[in-house]
Amino acid sequence: MRKPGIFFNAVFTIVIVMVAIAVIFPFFWMVRSSLMSNIEINTYPPILLPRWRFGNYPNTLSVFPFGRYLLNTLTITLPSLAGVLITSSLAAYTFARLNFPLKRFWFTMVISSMLMPVSVTIIPIFIMWSSIGLVNSYIPLIVPGFLGGGAINIFLIRQFMLTIPKEMDEAALMDGANHLQILYYVILPLIQPVLITVGLFTFILYWNDILGPLIYISSNDMNTISQALANFKSGFGVDWKAIMAASTMSIIPSVVLYFIGQRYFLEGIVLSGLKG
Amino acid sequence: MKTRTQIDTRTAYIFLAPAILGLIFLTIIPIFGVVIISLTKWTGLEKPIFIGFKNYINLFTSDFYFFHSVVATLYFAVGAVVTGLIYSLSMSLLLNQRIAGLGLWRSIFFIPYIVPIIGSSIVWSWMYESNFGIFNWFLSFLGVNKIQWLQDERFAVPSLILMTVWGSGNLIVIFLAGLQGVPKTYLEAVEIDGGNSWHKFRHIIVPMLTPVIFYNFLMSLIVNLQCFAPVYTLTKGEPNDSTLFMAFLMYREGFIHNNFGHASAISVVFFIFIIILTAILFATSRYWIFYEGK
Repeated sequence: MRKPGIFFNAVFTIVIVMVAIAVIFPFFWMVRSSLMSNIEINTYPPILLPRWRFGNYPNTLSVFPFGRYLLNTLTITLPSLAGVLITSSLAAYTFARLNFPLKRFWFTMVISSMLMPVSVTIIPIFIMWSSIGLVNSYIPLIVPGFLGGGAINIFLIRQFMLTIPKEMDEAALMDGANHLQILYYVILPLIQPVLITVGLFTFILYWNDILGPLIYISSNDMNTISQALANFKSGFGVDWKAIMAASTMSIIPSVVLYFIGQRYFLEGIVLSGLKG
Repeated sequence: MKTRTQIDTRTAYIFLAPAILGLIFLTIIPIFGVVIISLTKWTGLEKPIFIGFKNYINLFTSDFYFFHSVVATLYFAVGAVVTGLIYSLSMSLLLNQRIAGLGLWRSIFFIPYIVPIIGSSIVWSWMYESNFGIFNWFLSFLGVNKIQWLQDERFAVPSLILMTVWGSGNLIVIFLAGLQGVPKTYLEAVEIDGGNSWHKFRHIIVPMLTPVIFYNFLMSLIVNLQCFAPVYTLTKGEPNDSTLFMAFLMYREGFIHNNFGHASAISVVFFIFIIILTAILFATSRYWIFYEGK
């Protein structure tokens, strides 16, 4: 592309920087408010910079046991993540590599379930879990990950597997490897980028989920971070410094994970967007 | 000895077992389930009572909330999709230029998409707060009086739309990828013919991007029709039912009021509603999507 003139380049840069500042602003505002007293927060016109009251965090932790919620959220997220990666890789391998009767049928069925809105199936699924007495446990939130791991993930992993030459697994097959061994020793190492992408998105999806925990988890000490935060806001509606400190803590894990896996996030979006 | 195909078939069904179980228990049974439950009166405690199509008749004749909800959902979804597409397309065009610090800017636009929506909703609710919020402070410089962003039914949905658009960094990344796929030779051809940047945009970039626009349109329509978390955190359907979106109404009827039959009828209508809108989008697509080589 021809370089735009210096003038336009400057204009574009200024616009981008301004919008970027606006995009980042809510995060600044969250952290800033979390370091103020409630009187300072409730001042008009607003005070832009805080007085750095870091003591708000230990105080918030005494009423908002973040560590507990973090542990709860990990208890759901980590097993689910394992389930999604294992079962969606297995299904993807089947669709990418094996020939069997009804293959097209199953593929269409699995992929079209991708378009199924959560809010449509949620009542019957809730009733199934409640009829076997598993409501108010993490089981209903974890098990779906082990049941195929989501159509979109199967689709993404399959697309990536199709780019790997079949000669690789033919060779392993000649050496007497079975399909599980081919998948584990030959394919998985080669599709690491897509596994990381799927893993990061799955993690974020489970981490940020609110509807699932709201419906299945009722005891306070079993709440996930998002759920606890929503409850905390309704319960401590006026203590904004504590609410802001709790909100800041709740977004930190996602932001840290994002900066670690940034490349894969952006690649993953592109991958899922363009293959769709 | 077994043949290769027999081994393949057996392996295939073993490998697919989890996905097939998921399909049966998380999609097929629930679809039939939701339809059956929608024909009953059921609080989940006693036995369900079969009442035929009464829940549906109620939805369309006596349920005052339902009609509001359909209108509010459409208003929000169309507003969020159109604004989100305009925002993300313009930002991706700018981010496709050669400017300093590009990588940093690109990653900033994506952050709102990955943080827990409850956390970001909370800070937005404080920015929207009418007495001390920063939005009203900004407006005061323009000489505009304080607005009750989330408590005034004229502003509640636009406020949720603004927050949703802020969180649509994923669309920007997909548009950027689409822009990388526009062949430079086409753009050069426009220059040789004496065209300017507008000609490039109108006659090359937009047609080449139509498949990506379609994809983003579809995905963001499906997501925004199901908007739940912002309503749950910020407005709970208020003020005056202006943000009572269908996903939230279904949740409220089913899980707060324990009215599973009624809530399932909402789910079924909601599902048909989503299918119709998606079908309309697909039906119009052949008039405006440009596929290279066709």
